[in-house]
Formats: sequence, structure tokens, C-alpha cells
Amino acid sequence: MNDTSTLPRRTALAIGAFAIFSAALPYLPGPRRFAGLGLDEFKLALAIPLPKAAEIREIKPEPATIAKPAPLEPLATPNLTFAPGSLQTFFAALERTGNKEPGAVTRILHYGDSPTTADSITSDVRRLLQGRFGDAGHGFLLIAKPWAWYGHAGMKLDGEGWQIEPASQARAVDGFHGLGGVSFRGQAGATSTVGLTEDHTRVIVYYVAQPGGGDFALRSGEVQLGEVHTAADEKKPAFAEFPLGPGQRNIELRVTSGSVRLFGYRFDRGNSGVQYSSLGVNGAQVQMALRSFEVGQWTAALQHEDPDLVVLNYGTNESIYPEYIAKQYPEELRKVILRIRQAVPRASVLVMSPMDRGVLEGGEIVTPPALLQLIDVQKRIAAETGCAFFNTFEAMGGAGTMGRWYHMQPRLVSADFIHPLPQGAAKVGTLFEQALLQAYESASR
Amino acid sequence: MLPTSPEYYCVVAVLFFAFWLVRSKQVPALALILTVNLFFYARWGLIYLALVPLAATCDFFLARGMSVRPKGKLRSFLLLLSLVLNIGLIAFCRYVPGYLTAAGILLPLSLSFYAFQALTYTLDVYRGDAKPVASYLAYLSSVTFFPTIVAGPITRVASLAPQWNWKGKVLSSEDGSRALFLIGLGLFKKFLIADYLAANLVNRVFDLPSLYSGGEVLAAVYGYSFQLYYDFSGYSDMAIGSALLLGIRLPANFNLPYLAENLPDFWRRWHISFSNWLRDYLYFALPGPRTKVMPYLNLIITMAIGGLWHGIGWTFFIWGVLHGVGLAFFRLWQALRSGMTGKPAAAKKQTGTLAGRVFARLLTFHFVLLTWIFFRASSVDAALQVLSQIGNAFARQKFAFDNVTPAFLAVLLIAAIAHFAPAKRFESGGVWFSRTPAVLQAAALVLLTVAIQLVSSSGAAPFIYSKF
Repeated sequence: MNDTSTLPRRTALAIGAFAIFSAALPYLPGPRRFAGLGLDEFKLALAIPLPKAAEIREIKPEPATIAKPAPLEPLATPNLTFAPGSLQTFFAALERTGNKEPGAVTRILHYGDSPTTADSITSDVRRLLQGRFGDAGHGFLLIAKPWAWYGHAGMKLDGEGWQIEPASQARAVDGFHGLGGVSFRGQAGATSTVGLTEDHTRVIVYYVAQPGGGDFALRSGEVQLGEVHTAADEKKPAFAEFPLGPGQRNIELRVTSGSVRLFGYRFDRGNSGVQYSSLGVNGAQVQMALRSFEVGQWTAALQHEDPDLVVLNYGTNESIYPEYIAKQYPEELRKVILRIRQAVPRASVLVMSPMDRGVLEGGEIVTPPALLQLIDVQKRIAAETGCAFFNTFEAMGGAGTMGRWYHMQPRLVSADFIHPLPQGAAKVGTLFEQALLQAYESASR
Repeated sequence: MLPTSPEYYCVVAVLFFAFWLVRSKQVPALALILTVNLFFYARWGLIYLALVPLAATCDFFLARGMSVRPKGKLRSFLLLLSLVLNIGLIAFCRYVPGYLTAAGILLPLSLSFYAFQALTYTLDVYRGDAKPVASYLAYLSSVTFFPTIVAGPITRVASLAPQWNWKGKVLSSEDGSRALFLIGLGLFKKFLIADYLAANLVNRVFDLPSLYSGGEVLAAVYGYSFQLYYDFSGYSDMAIGSALLLGIRLPANFNLPYLAENLPDFWRRWHISFSNWLRDYLYFALPGPRTKVMPYLNLIITMAIGGLWHGIGWTFFIWGVLHGVGLAFFRLWQALRSGMTGKPAAAKKQTGTLAGRVFARLLTFHFVLLTWIFFRASSVDAALQVLSQIGNAFARQKFAFDNVTPAFLAVLLIAAIAHFAPAKRFESGGVWFSRTPAVLQAAALVLLTVAIQLVSSSGAAPFIYSKF
């Protein structure tokens, strides 16, 4: 410090120039608007927050709203909008199941993205519905874990030696991704092991019958359950059933010769009840089903399931692309619904909106506007195609819920402001299950 | 108001011009500094306008009392009052009484950095290491100095107060440029490295470690070690730079800590102002320094208390104890070695082959890395889950990195290289910046703000140490 002047001129010049350049930033031409130092920032800097009562907002489901008049009137069920008859198949199945009619299984397929891969939300809905209507078995499970977090409540899964092709990432060239959106290719020696916590009466293996196909075998402990030769004249989806006896809870599948291609298992319990299959693919978007699922094999897989309800729960991964949502998304969603309708015309279809999503803006966790745009599209397309629509976003509490849930103790959502933590997933699962049951009960009256 | 917000720099810029215009007159200049200090506290909550000046005034007069009674029980009693006052202040802010919360009075700012700073004053005066500050205004301006209130560096009042006597001194252009460089460097560290690593893997993995593969968890642990370093050292750079704009020098808080060759060396490089505080005011005050066993035990006690300062919980306790045991073990090893060789132990001295030193650095770094798991995890169970995921990956020799994006890896690599690169490169960066014309300096800083907005569209995360 050896200058003699009072004001450090050079530093003052640098700070002054910075202030001027920075103030000009917002006026730079280009697609992106940058924030800079302006009068607003100076005003903000001078604002001293006065004490106010702490904002504690109870999160309650809010009544459903429809932005534009839909062709069909919604019933007054919170956040679940559906045209009369659109959930008829599902309700009728639930009724048979509720009456304990022999073999009355209500089968639900829930397609979703990353939370669904961890059986987050779906495991809660499954538990609640099975608690009320009975447990008809776990439903669908992939052959191995394509993602470290893949898992299903009440099941242990492990696998070795598989070449895994999820439809959203390393997709299979032929589009054969089975029911669950993931293809597994394995050579002799590849294994898959499943641990069940409860007895099931049957396991079905979903595979590809194809020319030159190899063999795989199933065993439980020392008991050989059966062997399958996957060789066939033409390539097509196929299904192999194996009965399971009491206590046979540890299943091992092993490729015994050649090369096989598998998609997954389904576990049945042989009694009436609900079966809720969680079909998540990490990073999934609705266009994945359109572009990466070969129509014929997907149709065969859906028809084999003969579901009573198909839930389409995509949207989080699309919710940051406003232009795509405005231009391509509506038609893509419509086409995917149409494919499901053509494959399983009997099934009810329900579009489930994504959860709220948060982005940080000025220190606040806020909802990106494109998410609202996407939900509006989903609501509109669901109404136009005769599907039910569950507004998860509104049921959670609407815009800003992600921020509120993040600040709750204990936290309900992850620090990425996208994924629910177990408590948050349970909350969403409960909201969805309650909405389904309220609708079912009001329809039954 | 954090140094990551534009508002902070609006205030700093206005203060810079106002301060250098009035600085020739000490009282108005100090009054200006104190006003701005209190304004920063008020931004956190009006209650601080009562708490902080009141506590500071008490300490000022307690120290005065100690100085007029060089010996005797009253002196010790006055020190005890200061200890109770400041530790009570930390506890009060951490565990806000329910009736205040119900009345809408929240205490978002922990006053622990203020309290540590205030205690340096009364403890130094008590020990006779410093004389009481004559000017009440200078004392208040020092102990409440705004750049240090959120997360330090903990600056001794005894070293800060004399700097207000600036007769004949002004800010050189080198120091001014260095201040701006440090602020820019801090913003770079915080936004482009620390927050990026946190948002793109670390936070998600530590939230739900069981959802990630062992390889991904391991990547997140490495990521966290650099996130923490760049977050905290970034803050320290901004604080030191802000103070330097007013001609005030704050102590360095970091010195490439992951280059440490042993644990004592690490603590001489990591959060230096805090480890010095623990050493000078806690470790040296514990009984039995000349006995055989107590110094080892005191190390563990000191570090355990240091751990608990971060939060009352088993994770911080384990973190502190692990470091305490590590330090005690190293001290024992040194004692045994000096007993065998007959040479005095010299932890500071660099000895051994290059390979040996590299190995020592890797060992120290990975010990610190291991302890960060407890520091970061939300519970002991969560920490064990992180360790188990990593252990399973090694046991099975299976490492999946699906969630480790190339961009995350690139930032982690940049973070590591920047840390392990020779320090001279950074110093030369500062020198180059100071030689650049003022307008270009401004342009460089504006470009940095643009880069931050492009890369970090989600805004700044709170500083990790601001909650302690």
C-alpha cells in the first residue's frame, strides 16, 4: 500500500467498468437474456426483510381444474379427471376382485420414468391396493438391474453376464424391448436370481423365440423348474410358464447353451387380487414408446398381460423442452395412447402427470413454466382420447411444491428437485390410490 | 446476503467508493464500516441488530475489566462470563426458542463465526497476549466485520483492530487487483466447480446411496471432497477479496489441503483459522500437556468438540473422533520413530523419497476422504450405506458409472488438477490479472458472470459452512 492518492483509482475504474458492463448485460442481443447489475439489484440490496409469521403451508389435494372445456365432463374427484365409462374396465375388474370372485385379478401396468424404475410411488400404490383388494402377485420384474437403483419392493434381484439394452439408452436395433422396455441378451453362463419374500404359484419368463436361439433353465434351490429352448422358425415374443411350489422363493435363471434374449418375469399368486406391475425405464419419455418399441412385439406383450388399466406416467424428462412440448409432444402422446388402445382395446388408460419439478431461481426453488405447459397438453390429450387423467402435480400442491417438500423436515424430495424420497413417494402414492378409490366408489354408487 | 448474490456486490461497490472517500477521517470511516456490518446482520434478521451489538459491548467491557484486574478470581469470572455469553449465543441461534419461531422470528444466520471471533479477543486479553482495543468503534467494527460473518475466516480481533489505523496508507493497484482476482476466483470455485459437482451427482447420491452403484457412490465421495474444498475456499477467497478492497487483510484459510503429507499437515492447510483457533484456545487450554497420555487424549477431545461444533449428531462426532484418533496416532508414531532414531520428530519437515511422499499424500487424502463420508451423510446409517455400496463394488469388482456424466467427470478432473497443480501457476494467474488494464479486468469479471449464468442456470446453493 504505497500509493499516495486517496481513492484507489485503478481499482475504482475496474469496479466502475464492471458495473457499466454488467448493467449492459441484459440488453445483449441473442436468444438468451443474461442478468446483470441494475437498479433492481440495488433496490434488492437495500431491502431489509421485516419479521413476518413463518410460512407453514399444509399441503392438501386441490380440486381438479380444466384449462379449456373438455369434450367430456369430469366427475368431481380430486385431481382425477375422467369421462364416464373411460375407467369402466378397471372399475369392473376391481369390483370382481373386491367380491373375491375366483381368479379375479385386476392387472395394472404402470409405465414411467426414473422414480418408477426404483418402484418408487408404484410400490406404495401396490401395497395400498393389495391391502384392500388382495395380493395377486408381484407382477413384472426385469431380468437384471439395468440401473443400480432398479428394484422392486419385496424382491431381491441380481444378474451376471447380460448385455442390457434399455429403450431409452442403448436401445435394441430391432425395437424388441418387451413389456418393460429393456432387452437382455445373454450367452451360456449368464444368470439372473430373484428372491421373493412371499410364496407365488407361478413365474412366467418373457423371452424372444428366434432362429438359432439358445436354452435357459430355471431352478429353485436344488429343484429344476424347467428348461426352455428359445430356437424357433421366426423371431417373436414368447412366454414360458413355470409353476412354483410352497417355499420356492429363490429362483435362479441360467443360460445353459447358446445365446438367448429375455425381457423379464411375471410372478403370480394364483388368487384373486390386484397385480400392479411397475414398468420404469430410466430417462424415459413418451417418444421412447413411439420410436423404440417395435409395435408388433409390444402389442404381443400387452395382449399377453391383458391389463385392466394402463397408466402412462411420463413427462418429467420432457418438461424442460418448451418447444418440443408445444410442437411434437401432443401428437406423440396421442399416438402412444392409440397404440395401447389398438393393442388392448378393452383396457382403461390413464395418463398420470409428472410430479412437480424444481429449478433454482434467485435462491428460490420454483416450478419451470414448461412443466405446466406439458401438464396442460397431457390433460387435453387425455380428454380427447377418452383417457382418465390424474394431475399428480396439482394433487401434490401445485407450483412450488418441490421447494416446500424440499424444505420439510424430514425432506420429502431429493436435492435434485426431481426425485421423491421414500416419504415423498409414499405421499404421492397415497394421493393416487385415494383418487382411484374415490373414483371407483363414486362410480359404484 | 451471501457473496454469491448480485446484491452483495452492489453493497460492496458502494461501500468501496464511500469508504475511500471518507477514510482520511477515522471516525466517519469506522462508523461507515460498522453501519455496513450491522446492515449485513439486519439483512439476515432484525433481531441480530439487538443480539450482536449487545454481545459485543459486553465482551468489550469484560475485556476492559480483565485488563484492569491483571490477576485474581474476578478476572477468571469475567472470562467465564464471556465464554458463557458467546457459547450461549451459538446455542441460542442453533436452537431457536419455539416462541420466537412462532412469532415469526427466525435466526437463519448462525453466529458461531462471530462468537469465535469475539472469543479470540477476550481470551487474548485474559492471557495477556493482546491489549484491549482502545476505541469502542474500532472494536465493534472488527468483531462484526461483514466479510467474516457467514463463514469466517475467523480473524483475531487483535490482528484486525490495528488495521483500522491506516494513516498514510492507501490501497495499491496490486492489492486492488488481487482483491478483484480473489473475488472472481471465489465465484469460479463456488459456481463452476462446487455447485456443479453437488447438483450433478453428489447431493443425489448422498440422499439415496442405495440407488446408486458402488462406482457412482465412490465418484460422489471424491466429488464431495472437492465440492467442500471449492465451496469453502471459494467463500474464503470472496471474503478475503472483499476485505482487501477496503485495505484489510484477513488470514488465509486454505493452503492446498489435499497435498498434505500427514494429518497434522492437513490441519495446517484446511480451514486454517478454525484449526488455529482450536489449537490456541482449546487444545492448549486442556490439562496435562506435559504428561504421557493426556496430549493424545486432548487431541481426540479437541477434534471431537470441533466435530460437534458442526452440529450435535453422531456423524459429526465420529468425524471429529476419527480425526482426533488419526492425529493422536500420528503423534504416537512420530514419538516412537524419534525414540528409535534418536532424532526429534519434525512433522513439518519434508523428508523421505518422492515415492514415499506421494504415498503419504495419497494415504492422507484418502483418510480425509473417508471421514468426509461421515461429515456429509445425514445419519450414521446413511454413512454406513455409502461405505457398504463402495465395499460391495470392490468385493464384486463391479463398477458401473452410468450416472457419472462426462461433464461431471470433466469438472471433477479440472477440480483435482487445479488443486494438485503447482501453486505458482495460480500466483502467476493473479499477477497476470493485476497487470491487466482495469477495463479488461472488469471485462474478465463480466465474462465470468456470463459463464456462471450459462453453466449454473439453477443459481447458487448455500455455502456449506454458512450453516455451522
